[in-house]
Amino acid sequence: MLFIVPFAIAALIFMVYPVAEAVRLAFYDHNPLRPDASEFIGLENFRTIFADPLFWQSFRQAAIWTFASIVLQTVIGVALALLLHLPLRGISIFRGLLLFPYIVPTVVIALILQWMLNAEIGVVNWSLRGAGVIDDNVYWLATPSMAMLSTILLNVWKYTPFVTICVLARLQTIPLELYDAAKVDGAGALRRFVDITLPQLAEVLVVVVIFRTIWTFNKFEEIYLLTKGGPGTSTFNLAIYSFEQSVANLKMGVGAATGVVMMMLLFAGSLLYMRVFRFAEDDSA
Amino acid sequence: MAIRLEHIYKSFGPVPVLKDVDLEFPEREFITLVGPSGCGKTTLLRILAGLETASSGAIYHGAQRVSDLAPGKRDVAMVFQSYALYPHMNVHGNIGYGLKVRGTPRDEIDRRVREVARVLEIEHLLDRKPKQLSGGQRQRVALGRAMVRKPWLFLMDEPLSNLDAKLRVTMRGELKRFHLRLEATTVYVTHDQLEAMTMSDKIAVMDQGVVQQYATPAEIYDRPANTFVAGFIGSPPMNFVAGAAIADGRVEIACGNGARARIALSPLAAGADRPVLLGVRPQDLRVHPSRQDDAIAARVSLVQLLGSEKLIDLSFGDGRELTAQVKADAQLAVGDAVWLTFDPSRLHLFDPDSGRNLRP
Amino acid sequence: MKVFDLIRSALAWLTLLLVTFLMCFPLIWAMSTSVKPPKDVMATPPRVIPQEFTIENYRNLITGKQQYFRADQAYVPTTSAPQHFTSWFANSVIVSVGSTAISIVISTLAAYSVTRFRYRGRRIIPYFSLLGYMIPSIILVFPMFMVMSELRLTNTLWSLTFGYVSITLPFSMWLLWAFFRGIPVELEEAAMIDGASRLRVFIDIVLPSALPGIIAAAIFSLIVSWNDFLFARVFINSIENLPLTVGVMHFFEGVHVDWGLMMASAVLMTVPMAVLFMLMQRHLVAGFGAGAVKG
Repeated sequence: MLFIVPFAIAALIFMVYPVAEAVRLAFYDHNPLRPDASEFIGLENFRTIFADPLFWQSFRQAAIWTFASIVLQTVIGVALALLLHLPLRGISIFRGLLLFPYIVPTVVIALILQWMLNAEIGVVNWSLRGAGVIDDNVYWLATPSMAMLSTILLNVWKYTPFVTICVLARLQTIPLELYDAAKVDGAGALRRFVDITLPQLAEVLVVVVIFRTIWTFNKFEEIYLLTKGGPGTSTFNLAIYSFEQSVANLKMGVGAATGVVMMMLLFAGSLLYMRVFRFAEDDSA
Repeated sequence: MAIRLEHIYKSFGPVPVLKDVDLEFPEREFITLVGPSGCGKTTLLRILAGLETASSGAIYHGAQRVSDLAPGKRDVAMVFQSYALYPHMNVHGNIGYGLKVRGTPRDEIDRRVREVARVLEIEHLLDRKPKQLSGGQRQRVALGRAMVRKPWLFLMDEPLSNLDAKLRVTMRGELKRFHLRLEATTVYVTHDQLEAMTMSDKIAVMDQGVVQQYATPAEIYDRPANTFVAGFIGSPPMNFVAGAAIADGRVEIACGNGARARIALSPLAAGADRPVLLGVRPQDLRVHPSRQDDAIAARVSLVQLLGSEKLIDLSFGDGRELTAQVKADAQLAVGDAVWLTFDPSRLHLFDPDSGRNLRP
Repeated sequence: MKVFDLIRSALAWLTLLLVTFLMCFPLIWAMSTSVKPPKDVMATPPRVIPQEFTIENYRNLITGKQQYFRADQAYVPTTSAPQHFTSWFANSVIVSVGSTAISIVISTLAAYSVTRFRYRGRRIIPYFSLLGYMIPSIILVFPMFMVMSELRLTNTLWSLTFGYVSITLPFSMWLLWAFFRGIPVELEEAAMIDGASRLRVFIDIVLPSALPGIIAAAIFSLIVSWNDFLFARVFINSIENLPLTVGVMHFFEGVHVDWGLMMASAVLMTVPMAVLFMLMQRHLVAGFGAGAVKG
């Protein structure tokens, strides 16, 4: 009984209070350099952001970025899991190596990518030109569409292993006898994949996809550290928008209002997730 | 069209699992592969199904060599020990899957599935998913999936071992009835010798990858080929007593305290003056309350009532044990002195070293 | 048949090698760049395996020597950063270990409490925790900053240590809850019948059984704390108190970007994570299996 007390205190200070504060700030005009001049302004901040084209642009870009990342992560993640599921010798080494990106600090991969994608002296451009794929240097981080692509690349690189682990874990629980039964029933390899493997994977994939979508939509570091939201504002998402409002424009209230919007979206997403997660858990009971 | 297994050898890496298995299964018969865990019976079944390939040897369906054919092409159906029902399909889908894969039209699948479901009395379960079914129901679905394709060869891998004892007894009869109805050849794997005896037309007793004996149940019971088969088939298991054959056609058993019992037998197949292992089933041991000629003197050490029979544990000589099965009304108590005789026609003689039956 | 299988295995192997190479290439390239002498860093054609090796970059980072770049007649300092590298490293270690320790203690006690005792609301606590995990740090960081200001902790390592508790505690709690659920109560009941007090039972019986989960949660917390950028950026403003993540971004200041130095710092930043990962690989996947496939 007493054991829960430290958690309760910590949760209050570090989880409940900041969130409550974040919501409260959304209704105030708050300049972090002049905290005493904070004043209550009701829904004004919300009106501001909903009227701001940059907000909507950020929202749109976040959606595109999330969608592209998730699709790639899922397809590549499943493919890798299938590959890692093969009974090859020494496969455990690969399992280890392919999981590595997940624990590499975002800063590190952002730095390395900046170096590799450097338009003049980066290795990527040089290799592509050498292979004849492109003629001129591609400005990976200096043109809007390329910058978006680069940040998607970073996101896919870092988080596909997560999908792979989850799918692989599921693959390893499918009873082998099901495949035997299907073989005796006359099903070929493709049929077995579609009728047995995929349905089993569907359960875990739905959960993973929803989870990753919620997560990816609100990512800050993966974009900021590579492009700072640029060039210009072409890779802004809601998190960066909020950050800029609070830090660059010194309008913490506006930043907090954006945060509230993000939380609403998050909440809706996690309700969906809980529903599906409960469903998936009962299914396997 | 018989099924022939010719000189099948199978090893997993360096570990040999099947050695020179050579069997022929006559058409439409119920054949059981029986033996202890690890004897290779399941591996042999899987080779028959096409889920494993033999290291060497061939399988023929009639005149056609099928050793290299995929399972789907062998007209084989299989019931797995764990049933292996497709978890995300309902019962209808599970049963009909094999037909669907073969491109059967939808209405025909439905018709055949319902027909099989009716026979198995699971029509009311067609919409349910496997996880909503009991063990017995799942087993019927697994059976239905195998039966609906009207296969030529029906394989079953210990289908009754996951059921409770009472259900097992009922299902034994049901399975035999399905076999007769299907008119297919059935190969059945089990470790339970009672299932083997009650259901089969022929039994292959296996141990350590080798077929010990392949014969009808009666032959296996009455004329076991070696001590393994003799001890494995029949419950309670056969008694083995060490003795020596002597020149006049009798077997001498040391009964302790210098006493010897001499048992008359029909002429031996092997020469005289050699050690032998005498085999006698508990049901064939006669227990007498009074002294008999050429009987073994023994003392009752345990009495177990089975119902209409009693199981008596007896000790004689210097600590040797025998088990006898007698009628329940026999008045015997622990500590009683008794005399044991044998019916010579119900005795078996085995070579103590090789275990081979000396009078096959 | 055998030949076909061999070809298939070979193809699978090749694909795996290719994919692994691509995935690991950024780090390989970073390592390669970090051991090249400055003239080779920018040289074309770029080579994966350097012609000459040098550990100059690493030496500079560890000793904190100021880097200079020769521009015509004058030597211009490239960045002001190298001399702080060791401080940054130490800061990262202190903060990660500290926050992990706090998180683990709190979440172990909490997970045990939720799975062993009965009281109202105990069932929702893990889900509440999971919800907390999903709140992005961008929302938490500014209110937390204000809390730290109130406590006069800004610009200190304490602010980060406590700050990171807010992002490591929720998932640790969730993961440990899943683990504790799997430990049979009978073990503790047997010990209590043998006469052990509740505390003794906790230390002698429960903790050893929960060790895999605790290790997984600890690894997770260490990784998250080590990798955080946002909190450090907002809480700390003096260069000596920065952890590695924000510190290395300072390499972009200055006239000339020394890529060799930056790559060396990237490598050094990743090494602890790599070591952690290799040592605990089994535990990580097991822990994720228990908690993360559902969460």
